[in-house]
Amino acid sequence: MFFRMLKGALFRQKSKMIMIAITIALGASLATAMLNIMLDVGDKMNQELKTYGANITVVPKESSVIDDLYEIEDGSTTKAFLKEEELGKIKTIFWAFNIVDFAPFSDTTAALSDGTAVKVVGSWFNHHLALPTGEELDAGVTSLRSWWEIKDGEWIDEQNSEGNSAMVGSVLAEKLGLSAGDTVTLSTDNGKETLKVVGIFDAGGDEDEQIFTTHDVAQKLSGTEGLLNSIEVSALTTPDNELAVKAAKEGPGSLTPKEYETWYCTAYVSSICYQIQEVITDSVAAPVRQVADSEGTILEKTQLLMILITILSLIGSALGISNLVTASVMERSNEIGLLKAIGARDYRITGIVLTEIIITAVFGGAAGYFMGYGFAQIIGQTVFSSSIEMKPMVIPIVAVLIVLVTLIGSIPAIRMMLRLRPAEVLHGR
Amino acid sequence: MKRQKMFLKMITASILRRRSRMLVALLAIAVGATILSGLVTIYYDVPRQMGEQFRNYGANMIFTPASGERLTDDTVSEALSQIDSANVVGCAPYRYEAVTILERPYMAAGVDMAEVEKTSPYWSINGEWPSQSGEILVGTSVASTFALSVGDDMTLTYDLGAPEGATVDEAKNGISENVNEKSFSVVGILDTGGNEEDYVYISLEDMEALTTEKGGYDVAELSVSANSDELSAYVDSINEDGAVSARLVKRVTQSENTVLSKLQALVFLVTAIVLVLTMICVATTMMAVVAERRKEVGLRKALGASNKSIIFEFMGEGLLLGGVGGLLGSVLGFLFAQMVSANVFNSSITFHFALVPLTILVSVLVTGLSCILPVRSAIDIDPALVLKGE
Repeated sequence: MFFRMLKGALFRQKSKMIMIAITIALGASLATAMLNIMLDVGDKMNQELKTYGANITVVPKESSVIDDLYEIEDGSTTKAFLKEEELGKIKTIFWAFNIVDFAPFSDTTAALSDGTAVKVVGSWFNHHLALPTGEELDAGVTSLRSWWEIKDGEWIDEQNSEGNSAMVGSVLAEKLGLSAGDTVTLSTDNGKETLKVVGIFDAGGDEDEQIFTTHDVAQKLSGTEGLLNSIEVSALTTPDNELAVKAAKEGPGSLTPKEYETWYCTAYVSSICYQIQEVITDSVAAPVRQVADSEGTILEKTQLLMILITILSLIGSALGISNLVTASVMERSNEIGLLKAIGARDYRITGIVLTEIIITAVFGGAAGYFMGYGFAQIIGQTVFSSSIEMKPMVIPIVAVLIVLVTLIGSIPAIRMMLRLRPAEVLHGR
Repeated sequence: MKRQKMFLKMITASILRRRSRMLVALLAIAVGATILSGLVTIYYDVPRQMGEQFRNYGANMIFTPASGERLTDDTVSEALSQIDSANVVGCAPYRYEAVTILERPYMAAGVDMAEVEKTSPYWSINGEWPSQSGEILVGTSVASTFALSVGDDMTLTYDLGAPEGATVDEAKNGISENVNEKSFSVVGILDTGGNEEDYVYISLEDMEALTTEKGGYDVAELSVSANSDELSAYVDSINEDGAVSARLVKRVTQSENTVLSKLQALVFLVTAIVLVLTMICVATTMMAVVAERRKEVGLRKALGASNKSIIFEFMGEGLLLGGVGGLLGSVLGFLFAQMVSANVFNSSITFHFALVPLTILVSVLVTGLSCILPVRSAIDIDPALVLKGE
């Protein structure tokens, strides 16, 4: 009997039930989309913030200690370098997956044909890396200096150029009257190189007076094959908290073993630095505060903003659903009056109404989840041009939310119905 | 006159007598209106508030002398007057001088600490910012070279150049050294991960005392809260005047543009989707509330009411509900936006008065439209059928 009544209510009042299901689906899709975006916005914004460039620099451990000890004044001979062969190790650290970009830098001073000295920087542009893990990555200044404005020509394309290419800073290019397609000759004690100018860039800083070229050319000029001056690393990091601050200030040695483990296994900028130092011999990896700290602030704010907007839309969809449920249960006073008149117990009436609503809610909620998936992907594709990861934890949250909301929405209405006297209701008052 | 009175009476009676149902409808509309006004307020304010957060990246404009001469207070403040003062977060002039610390050459910068704190908020200082004369901020690498820690004393030596009358030889051999020494106490050690770690920072007054002259500034860093178009306009108008050459720090301005536009697009899309879904929710609830009154419509038709007057009455009701709900929603929405702003950005939000009529208009429209559909379908059927309950 119970099931027959249920079936009757569900199928005979089709349009009404469909409307409830639609509203629940809308609410559920809103909740799904917002929760997924909220959970993923940190990662997505983190990627966007990579346009600010590297947040970690790796330099050789100062040789100044030796200088001080033996009072060697001529710094150039004792200058420390990093080893090029160790570069790949950066992608083998615990948080290797979070390292999105890195580039080695080796610089030297060379003389132009007219004798003026310029700073020549060798680096990667779009260096293709095939890692043992199977991951492939294009790393280099093309992405690490995304704010450079190419005034003339284009970026050096390492994969398709014949080599010996250079990019010249806008200030220097103006001074020398260079434009894309010209050649420059650079000479040092170690040799002479003729480079083709591929592009002129405006960096809005000191780099405007420098020449950028590929790594091997700069090394040949400086006579330091296989050696690097510095490495810039761009990593996805977690905003610092108390633990990270403590580790950074007092050193990882001050942490208890448990704290150390948590710190080491969290992508704090300080723990990534520490891990880089572990793999690169005699190196000091330090966070670039301007980028690392600001990233943290902006990520935190964005996440908090999205959390609050999510809460508002959750409350909104919850109230929307429970409102409709209340309205549609109230509407059925006649039917409930009749049921009471023919002797139905309160709990049976409650049972029937609730089961009906819950069945509708389950269907609506399931449809809503997939709609929400669609909305989240629309937002992900339009804003970040990448898909939003659907977290499995959202499903139980949305399910619990929908069930709770429909129950809470129907309870006051049902209680009101039960208080009604059948005679009055049937009479139409 | 009489008709209008009757009309008002019917509307108020229907609202008052069916209190609980109307409360449900009103709640639905108010929730929709709250979300509308709250999200739109946030959407308008987020770029401004977020823009302020992006100032954490530090200076986005730099003044350098246009000619060989250094910047002075006058030229800087004249250039500064070209920028809307409300947008200037900070303007920190730097005066660099070569000094020696224990015979080793270093660069010392004379700065206005309070302004630097504004233009370079990312400076991580172990200790405190110098606040009075005789205090010095030391870069990490300088501190580690001399094993300095907070509380230590150090001396800066400035070479005033060969005194008048001294021969070149005398100056070279340091026989008649003309140097000025000043002792400072280290109050903070600066960690930035950049070049700043190789410098020491003292106040402008101390720099004057050390060098015994009031020199100009080498560079001034500015943090201006404006979008990239406004920034380039400022730069152009400053460069026209000539005394100061202004440049944008591309790394900061370009990147801010990219990230901020993404963020704005995100908030926009989220707002749009949430609004559309909420409005549909409001509409379905209203439809449910009205659909239940099919009997009433039938009865009225049976009594001889015209279709027009029935629709008119329902619309009147919708108007009233939409208006009250919209008004309620604009207030609640503003409170919500205010809460978000206080929690996320620690600042208050401006109340957009234009949003009140907009919110009310949208809620009235949504309510009106969602009333019309069920009422029309009730009107179209034979009153007898509706009354019979089919």
